[in-house]
Amino acid sequence: MKRAGTDRAGYRTDTFISGFFWIQWKTGGRQPPETGGLFLKRVVSVSLGSSGRDHKVNIELLGQEMEITRTGTDGDFERALELLQELDGQVDAIGLGGIDVYLFVKEKRYAIQDGLKLMEAVKKTPVVDGSGLKNTLEREVIRILARETDLLKKSARVMMVSSVDRFGMAEALAEVGCDMTFGDLVFTAGIPYAIKTMAELEEIAYKLLPEITKMPFHLIYPTGKKQESQDEDKVKKFAHYYHDTDIIAGDFHLIRRFMPAGMNGQVMITNTTTGADIEFLREKGIGTLVTTTPEYGGRSFGTNVMEAALVAILNKDLTQITEQDYLDLLHKLDFRPRILELGN
Amino acid sequence: MATHEEIKEALEDFTENFNNNERLKLMNKDWNRVVVIKATDVDSVHSWILQDGHLTLQEGFLDDPDLTVSADSETLADVFYGDVTPIEPYNDGTLRIIGSEDDITRLDFICLMIWGE
Repeated sequence: MKRAGTDRAGYRTDTFISGFFWIQWKTGGRQPPETGGLFLKRVVSVSLGSSGRDHKVNIELLGQEMEITRTGTDGDFERALELLQELDGQVDAIGLGGIDVYLFVKEKRYAIQDGLKLMEAVKKTPVVDGSGLKNTLEREVIRILARETDLLKKSARVMMVSSVDRFGMAEALAEVGCDMTFGDLVFTAGIPYAIKTMAELEEIAYKLLPEITKMPFHLIYPTGKKQESQDEDKVKKFAHYYHDTDIIAGDFHLIRRFMPAGMNGQVMITNTTTGADIEFLREKGIGTLVTTTPEYGGRSFGTNVMEAALVAILNKDLTQITEQDYLDLLHKLDFRPRILELGN
Repeated sequence: MATHEEIKEALEDFTENFNNNERLKLMNKDWNRVVVIKATDVDSVHSWILQDGHLTLQEGFLDDPDLTVSADSETLADVFYGDVTPIEPYNDGTLRIIGSEDDITRLDFICLMIWGE
């Protein structure tokens, strides 16, 4: 539900009521007023992604007023470091966006060195990359979709553009009985080899990840302005991976960078989508968009933002937060994935 | 310091490993490239020709390489024998690779597919 009006300063405000949040979205580009004094919690997401996706919203989450800001540095690693150092101790929680820090494969955890450098720049404020929540939330989303919708049928063909950054989702989809194609080598290294089983995915991940995580991040993931463009050669070369599937899942920026025209009503499971992204998907021919994080003002936040918000609510030492804490909060919030029909 | 012969042996070892790995050949059947490998401290230059998933090594320089890999002889021998991965010497500048980012990334992946854990 959406209501539009103006605030006392004369700026346009849109109030969205969606499930468990109310959000005031300031469209005037100005700072929001102090709404909660000492009780307002501030969460900032610092992203290596495009500054064109910057935004700020005020939400109420389980009775806690919260200001959430996203600031992109257009792939500028040094600027991100500076920003994190400036914010350290000044806000309640920080999310790191546009980069993963931790990748989980079963019980093994791998740290991306560039991400770790950013995380280690923050000494006082809890800082998260979304990986803790991804493993929990995205498994849950797949189970909900399988149980309560007809979007995820057994034997449905699913193409994940990358899966080592979403191992929980990959495992959950395989458990449902989907016919999996993992595009990690295709879309990260340009190697036209689709991994078809969890066993091969694990074998290759164990072989590659200890070293790949030491590579400069921009070599393995589109950062900054690359997130706003498509790699035309690879769009053509790898189009069949998109066309010959029922469901496309995974990181939105990777999906976007390589998505061809002429999609025919496929389902997409992702997050971090803006209104412009939804239009992009509609034009390409995607039929249904499922986002794993809730909608705020027409967009779904990254999991790093969601995890940072939950950490601010939990008010516990990061090392003490468990998967069960996140699950409990998600249940209290009556979390549901957003399902959007795009008319294709 | 490694000798020209040691570098050659390391490259032959790598070439054999590549050609004996059916999955790796399949992965790279689309990637036709010329790669020059050059030592900076001894007189040693080799070229790889990757064509239709098959890798061929020859001594000397081939014109218009897609990738040029250069490092001191010890680093080259270590990397292509699999004693060290290419990532760390690449990151610290000991190993230099000239070529497109996509090709550099792909060469790194191939090395790791052969020598990774």
